Amino acid sequence: MKKYSPQQWIEPLVETVEAHLVRATEVYQNLSETQLNTPPAEGGWSVAQCLEHLNSYGDYYLPATREALRSVASTSNPQSTYQSGWLGRYFTNMMKPENTKKYKAFKGHIPATQLDGAAVVARFIEQQEEWLHLLGEITTVAQMNVRVPISISPLIRLKLGDTLSFVIAHNSRHVQQADRLLAVSLEQV
Amino acid sequence: MRTTSENELDALRTAIEQIHPLDAQEMFALLAIWRPLEVKRKVMLIAAGEQASHIYLVQKGLQRVYYLDEHGREATLVFTYAPSFGGIIDSFLLQTPSRYYYETLTPSAFLMASFDELDRLMLRYPAIERMIRLGTTATLGGLLERLVEIQAFSSEEKFRALLKRSPHILQLVPHKYLANYLGIDATNFSKLLNRIRI
Repeated sequence: MKKYSPQQWIEPLVETVEAHLVRATEVYQNLSETQLNTPPAEGGWSVAQCLEHLNSYGDYYLPATREALRSVASTSNPQSTYQSGWLGRYFTNMMKPENTKKYKAFKGHIPATQLDGAAVVARFIEQQEEWLHLLGEITTVAQMNVRVPISISPLIRLKLGDTLSFVIAHNSRHVQQADRLLAVSLEQV
Repeated sequence: MRTTSENELDALRTAIEQIHPLDAQEMFALLAIWRPLEVKRKVMLIAAGEQASHIYLVQKGLQRVYYLDEHGREATLVFTYAPSFGGIIDSFLLQTPSRYYYETLTPSAFLMASFDELDRLMLRYPAIERMIRLGTTATLGGLLERLVEIQAFSSEEKFRALLKRSPHILQLVPHKYLANYLGIDATNFSKLLNRIRI
């Protein structure tokens, strides 16, 4: 199984979060409330709902990640490579945008229909900046190996490295969903 | 470490000459003290309590100087972007601890020079010291103008003035920093945004 240095694992995640921040800064935060809150004609989520869904994940995983990082002893054994777990890979692959299978949102992650669009985008940006901050703190394999319970069940715990891949792949999935919706609605204008 | 490219030095020379012309020897001495730096978004370049040891010429990206009070409230004082100089000017020139933070708000590239080297050149070449004085004075003028906006303008006038000065800034930086810079709350900012652009 492929082994990664912390930097090799973290760097692509940083780049993905940066790309999400660029989209949010250049596009989402400049949309009107109507553009943010209009769902697609054929049904589904509005841009604000996509982002609010992601915010609900951030609301859980950001504090969980901070907690996990606090729990790592600073004098940990200097293991130099990281290996993901099968379950982490399974969840991450499930969430990757390339996988076009649709899933139903879990309880606690279902967005309301009318949202304060500007506030939702602002919170999304805030969360992505916080992810960059936390990703910047991860330098050791010991940190990446701490277990974090997943949001929908305290019984399943993934390695932090896998948790980060999963959450950020999930972000990409719904950022792309929002972009598809905008591509259609901007054509119609 | 990467060395400074000729293109970068040319941009630096232009930025210097716009403040004050230097002769060839002075320019040569001044160009020689800069080295490149690239950093990601949200990287702290100078923290409050530290002495600002470097001044920056911004090549790419957007940065801010801000104050953080004991309750965790931020006040965004200044934005910097290419091709202007950036840093914490009082801490840098007086070599005292900074009261402010200087951080990147987008991925950024700079040329940077240390106070020790710049100071050595200022002592040796009066024209370089003069250039620094004129540059500092222009910065001071900009700050006084900003004080007028903060004290005398309504929220809407401040918003319009910002967009007039930097029309693309709405796409460059998260709006919370712009709202904070203007001293208006985020809700008010998005109302102005929806009302004024349409």
